[in-house]
Order: sequence, then structure tokens, then C-alpha cells
Amino acid sequence: MIGEFEFLILSAAAHLGEDAYGAAMREVIETAAGRTCSLGALYTTLDRLEAKGLVETQMSAPTQERGGRAKRMVRVTGNGTLAAREFYESVVRISVGTAWGRAPRDAA
Amino acid sequence: MKREGVVSGAGWRCIKTAAGLLAPLEREVVLGDLAEADRGALRGLIDVLGLAARRQIAFWTSWRPWAASLGLALPASLYLMFWSVAAGDAAGSLVGEPSNLRLLWLCLSRLLLLSCWSWTTGYTVSAVSRRTLWASLLACCVPCLDCLSKWPGHGLSGLELLIFLVPGLGGAWCGRQQLRLGLSCAIFLMAIAMLAPITAGTGGWMYGCWLLWPGGYLLTKAIRRPALISKSH
Repeated sequence: MIGEFEFLILSAAAHLGEDAYGAAMREVIETAAGRTCSLGALYTTLDRLEAKGLVETQMSAPTQERGGRAKRMVRVTGNGTLAAREFYESVVRISVGTAWGRAPRDAA
Repeated sequence: MKREGVVSGAGWRCIKTAAGLLAPLEREVVLGDLAEADRGALRGLIDVLGLAARRQIAFWTSWRPWAASLGLALPASLYLMFWSVAAGDAAGSLVGEPSNLRLLWLCLSRLLLLSCWSWTTGYTVSAVSRRTLWASLLACCVPCLDCLSKWPGHGLSGLELLIFLVPGLGGAWCGRQQLRLGLSCAIFLMAIAMLAPITAGTGGWMYGCWLLWPGGYLLTKAIRRPALISKSH
């Protein structure tokens, strides 16, 4: 199973779709999770996810807003989607009945 | 260009200098991300240094940097210093007696052995772990500086200890450039490398034999390459 930060990266990439790249994903993670995300953590985790086949990355054409530098575009693979869903569902399952989770259906 | 102007001047220059620690492609991506985001020079610098540190740590989880630095550069520099002094001594004697053919042969053979073995070692160190070459250089320099500081002299210059650095650094440069070696060249270098410990006398024989693996590495690399090429075709 993937880790929490890997899940955040997969979710950010899925959320951004075709516009998923380092700086944008970092912005999404920091805004949504309310935590600092270093470029080191982001790119080393991306490498790990790519090695596991959960994401695919490729270089984009250089853009003017980045001083003529390329972006590393990220795309979540089918396996990445499955892994993120598995992580999400286990978090939901384990949270049922807790103070922070949803109430169990049969208890309502 | 949105943010390169905000983090301008010395801050951006520091970030760009630090980004030199990263691989070229990653450097461009990271500098682009930092130019796009408004994070400030210090945060950008911490980001770049943090990523470079993580990359280095990742390299050291493999056997390669350990083999290149502690397994080869460190012990080989000690042995090659011995050979440097031997070659320098023979060259000094030859200058005193230029017509002495035995001295000429001794000098040339020692210089050949030293050059080939040192080049082979430098090449292997660099080829085995290119990204941690700085650590291998450090592992090579520490014993050199230690020996230089304790060098007794006896009419010999301390620089004679470091003759091996010339072919060694040449080999390291070739390894870094991933220069392709032919099979015959690899066999020649391996044979020369095998001669060195045999001619070193009893003291360094076993130690020298332990340092033969660069020759084997070169040979393996030279044998493997044609197979890979033929597969790709």
C-alpha cells in the first residue's frame, strides 16, 4: 500500500489532470493539506511512484513564465488510480465509528 | 518570466549555483519551479539543497559509491603512492646515469605500470559511481595529504608521491565521459594491472592483488558492450 505523502501526490496529480507538474502539485498539496511540501520530498517521492508504475512523467516544452525552462509533467496511471483508491478506502474504513470518521450506516 | 525577477541578484545566483549539484534535466525543472513560485531566496535555496541532499543519500543506498570510494579510491591511492615514489626514484636515478640501460628499462616499466594501473583505477572509480565522484576524490586525497604531511624527504620531493594523480585523473575523466573501451585495450590494461602487484615484492603483493578488480571490471564492461549493441540492433 502507498504512504500518506504518496497519496497526496497522486491526488494532487489527479486533481490537476493535464496541468500536473511540480510547482502546481506543490501548491495544491500545501493548500489542501495545510502542510509544507519541499521540492526534495516532492521529486524523490515522484521518482518512487514512477518506479512503482503509479505515475508517468515527461518533460514539457519550455515556457516563458518559467524563464524558458521545461516542466516535468505528471500523469497518474491506471495502477496509480487503483493504489490511491485502495488507500482512500482503507482510511475511510478504519475511520468509521471514530470521532473523526463517518458514523456506521447500521448505527444510524 | 514571473518570479526570477523577484528572487533576483545574489539570492538567485546562490540558488543557481546550488542547483549545479543536481542533474542537468532536474536542475532545469527545479529552477523553473522556483522561478514560477514566489518563495523567496532562502526557501528556494533550502529546497535545492534539500533535494540535492536527498539525491546523494539515495546514491549511497547502492553498493557502487562504497565500492568506488572506500573499496578502491582509498586503498588504491596508498598503493599508487608507493608506485609513484618507485617510478620517481627510478627516473631520478636515470637522470644521474642516462646511459644506463637497466635504469632506463626500470624507469620505463615502472612508469608504464603506474600510468596504466592508475588510469584503470581512475576510470573504474568514475565509471562505477559517476555521481559520487566527489567522495571518491576525497577518499583519494585524504591519504595523500596525510602522507604529504609526514613525508620525510630524504632527497625526494613530496610531489613524487602524487605522480599517479596525472593518469588517475585522466582515467577518471574518461570514465565520467563514459568512454568506450575496446576489448583488446581492456585486456592490455588488465594484464598490466596484474603485473604491478607481482613485481611489487612480498609486502604489497596480497594488497595489490586485492586491487585487481578494476581490471576485471574493465574487461567485463568491454565484453558486455558488444552484446548490448547487438541486442539493440
